[in-house]
Amino acid sequence: MAEIVLSNVHKVYGHVVAVKDINLAINDREFVVLVGPSGCGKSTTLRMIAGLEEISAGTIAIGGRVVNHLQPKDRDVAMVFQNYALYRHMSVRDNLAFGLRNRRVPAHEIAAAISRAARILSIEPLLDRRPHQLSGGQQQRVALGRCIVRNPKVFLFDEPLSNLDAQLRAQMRLELKELRLRVPTTSIFVTHDQTEAMTLGDRIVVMKDGVVQQVGTPLELYRKPVNRFVASFIGSPSMNFLAVNVTADGEDFTLACQGWQFTLPSRRFPDLASRIGRSVWVGVRPQHIRLGAPVSGNQVALKGTVMVTEQLGDEQLLAVRLGDSEIRIAGVDPDLALATGSQIEAAVAADNLHFFDEAEEAR
Amino acid sequence: MRDVAVVQARSVGFFAALAPRGKAVFFALAAVAICLLFAFPVFWLILTSLRPGTGVYYVHRGTEFTVDNFHEVLSQDIVLRALLNSFMISTLATVLSLGVTATSGYMLSRFKGPIPNAWFSLMYIFRCVPYVAWVLPLYFVTQQLSIFDTYWGLLLPHIAVHICFFSWIMKGFFDGIDPSMEYAAMIDGCSRWGAFWRVALPSAIPGLTALAILCWLYTWNEFLFALILTAHETPILTVVMAQFVHELGMEWHLMSATAVIALVPALIVTLFGQRYVIRGLRI
Repeated sequence: MAEIVLSNVHKVYGHVVAVKDINLAINDREFVVLVGPSGCGKSTTLRMIAGLEEISAGTIAIGGRVVNHLQPKDRDVAMVFQNYALYRHMSVRDNLAFGLRNRRVPAHEIAAAISRAARILSIEPLLDRRPHQLSGGQQQRVALGRCIVRNPKVFLFDEPLSNLDAQLRAQMRLELKELRLRVPTTSIFVTHDQTEAMTLGDRIVVMKDGVVQQVGTPLELYRKPVNRFVASFIGSPSMNFLAVNVTADGEDFTLACQGWQFTLPSRRFPDLASRIGRSVWVGVRPQHIRLGAPVSGNQVALKGTVMVTEQLGDEQLLAVRLGDSEIRIAGVDPDLALATGSQIEAAVAADNLHFFDEAEEAR
Repeated sequence: MRDVAVVQARSVGFFAALAPRGKAVFFALAAVAICLLFAFPVFWLILTSLRPGTGVYYVHRGTEFTVDNFHEVLSQDIVLRALLNSFMISTLATVLSLGVTATSGYMLSRFKGPIPNAWFSLMYIFRCVPYVAWVLPLYFVTQQLSIFDTYWGLLLPHIAVHICFFSWIMKGFFDGIDPSMEYAAMIDGCSRWGAFWRVALPSAIPGLTALAILCWLYTWNEFLFALILTAHETPILTVVMAQFVHELGMEWHLMSATAVIALVPALIVTLFGQRYVIRGLRI
């Protein structure tokens, strides 16, 4: 059993707070992704779990044992680094054996562990090469192999795919998923790429400015983001946001901004009652907007001017001017010819609208 | 485009004017001139070492050559002792100062805080002191410590100088090595010291080798410390060489022969080291 529990973990560099009061419980064999923009504290959190950074306050427990004052070598974790961090003066075989030799594992067991890891990762022909003789993808596999041979309690991944080109990154993502099935171990994966987070994680932890914004499954984060930051970070293209004023209109609420006005029934959106007379952000995912007039009363109409079209082959992306705002629409028929400046009508299901208070941004 | 063409034409004209038969000739001449500039003194030195004592003042005219000068200097006990001492001092100074320099450079590269800052400042101050200004105080210090004219009396000042000068270079080598490797080693079961010893240091071998060569040659060629801090008990080759100039005259032929003998180990170290540095860079 290797669950990881972070309790009120805090990290300060001088006067700069890098990580603020993180509480997180990661289950045994769970794959958790820490995601956020650069400088949000995700790598610092990972390094604190690894023991490479001291904790300013709080406790970290791995497998029920508090590891705050343990050396990295005594925490029984393995880590893959962004630039692979292979020992460049050693062969691939020695790289894989290094951790086991340090733990005085008998030679025949080391050989067996290496050949098993090499078979899993298809790096058997590379065992006698030096790291500089390998491609980026091969180096990445060796770095993974170095973790697997140790059979640790926890795998830690610090942006391991960010140095690879887009095609290789997609391939390695799949390989990582396959690897999880073959070697189920508690894992924490740090990335700034929301696609990696969505595709790999059992749960995702979204961080910003050292603070956890939301913890949840990929679908929870996509469907029910708790604030505007999470909503904008998860999903591609990013969610559209429009600032609207909420007013009461009999049984309904009227939401209006320049170039767009719509009403929502109060019985289905009771939360809006507390926002009457205030400005709120309405969030709409580009994928949830459909071209054409509303076909049911449950849909909200949008009218705008096409500014730019982006052809992706299987779909088009539109940038549409709506009053003084601009929104993106995804999933448009690629054969549809839309000239710049043409007027379009679109609709979005009211259930797909997200509402965020302006104050939440400060969170 | 036209501007580029004009510039090209101008540069072609420049080289054409300097070297009428083309750039190749010009560069060949320049290369020969540079080689001559460095090689000619060595050539003249070897020529002088092969001339009899009476022939050194008309080296360019005489036809008489001899190896007696080498026999003569190698039969002198002081020259042999000086050779051994110079070799031992250079080698020991290299080994000992690299031991300190490697750890010192690593600390400056990887650690922040009051101790590295103080160490850095101390070395900076010592570097600002002119080299020659150290000699007289060191003479008194070695006298006080009763290590004047001993190996330690010469080794310690050399090591101190090397630490101040080479720690900076060593810091540069370690700055170029990704610290993630050491973190990986620490997670793989090494202590911080183990990560330095087993991962950072082997990765710095090309740099260490280059520094070792520099250090060895510097000590081998050094004259001022050797002149002031040693006497008859610990003769050093550079000083012994200078002693061929004495009140009865200047024995250029013997001095040249000793210099040629002194050249050989330095040449071997350089040639061996160069190969090693290149091999190290391929790691």
